[in-house]
Amino acid sequence: MSFEWPWQYNFPPFFTLQPNVDTRQKQLAAWCSLTLSYCRHHKLYTLDVMEAQESPIFNNKKIERKLSMEAIQVVFEELRKKGNLEWLDKNKSRCLVMWRRPEEWGKLIYQWISKNGMVNTVCTLYELSNGDDTENEEFHGLEEWMLLRSLQALQSEGKAELITMDDSKGVKFF
Amino acid sequence: MGNLFGKKKRTRVTEQDKAVLQLKQQRDKLRQYQKRINLQLEKERTVAKQLLKDGKKDKALLLLKKKKYQEQLLDKTENQISNLEQMVMSIEEVERIMDETQDSIEYQRQIDEMLAGTLTQEDEDDILAELDAITQGDVELPEVPSDELPEVPAAKEEKPERERSKHKPERELLAV
Repeated sequence: MSFEWPWQYNFPPFFTLQPNVDTRQKQLAAWCSLTLSYCRHHKLYTLDVMEAQESPIFNNKKIERKLSMEAIQVVFEELRKKGNLEWLDKNKSRCLVMWRRPEEWGKLIYQWISKNGMVNTVCTLYELSNGDDTENEEFHGLEEWMLLRSLQALQSEGKAELITMDDSKGVKFF
Repeated sequence: MGNLFGKKKRTRVTEQDKAVLQLKQQRDKLRQYQKRINLQLEKERTVAKQLLKDGKKDKALLLLKKKKYQEQLLDKTENQISNLEQMVMSIEEVERIMDETQDSIEYQRQIDEMLAGTLTQEDEDDILAELDAITQGDVELPEVPSDELPEVPAAKEEKPERERSKHKPERELLAV
């Protein structure tokens, strides 16, 4: 299943930060949406800003347009404000992309746990993200930091409790 | 003593949970090992094919022997994983049986309570009927026959009960 680009992607002005406030709002919203759906499609959880500039998301070779570094930072700042992005370092070179919020992941995981009658049992984090049983689930392959955040969200809802062992982590669902 | 003013976090994780988790952790490690070995086997299969193509039969044979050994290791690993999973299941089984026993005990207790409650209700009805009979005195007698007329079949089920309770006090009066 190949990624479907939005119409704006092939529209040259889309790659230039628009001066008009209203237009810029719409433009940024479209960029945020594009970034998130691209990451979701390719199951990307982190982005390196330098690499991103050259990646197809911000660089459309077909129309020979790419988003400037400054514009990319603006888009990323928008995403951060909306809660979909977190910087991993002060220099803003790497970031975590949450195309799905931790609470949403938590809900998906809990649904799977309920469906399989695993409430009131314990699981290792590895089992959830890499186990054979979860192979067809959307959260299969979820990176540990994201999995942790999602389980923490469930924990604050009283639906789970994280357990730390010597060299790995587990979780109990309620 | 040191934790006097410290917050004690109440955990819902039992010792059994921790035991199960440990087993699962070991199983995970074995699975990861399996995946690694499988990958290696794939690579070696490719190399062996190439060696044969190049006519290096001895080298190919050596590689295949190594591969055989690794496959045996894999089988052992698979067995270990099965054992661990069985242990996990037996712990969970024990927990489940304990829970079920607890549930049955609870269920039995509830039934007992209900029965006790019902009897009291029936007794109360009898008592009220007796009270009625005593306060109404002889007037009770002529009234009884009119009740016995079975008009509506559906009401028949109710009537025997009422008759019974009305008959009882009547009999008692006569007995006295």
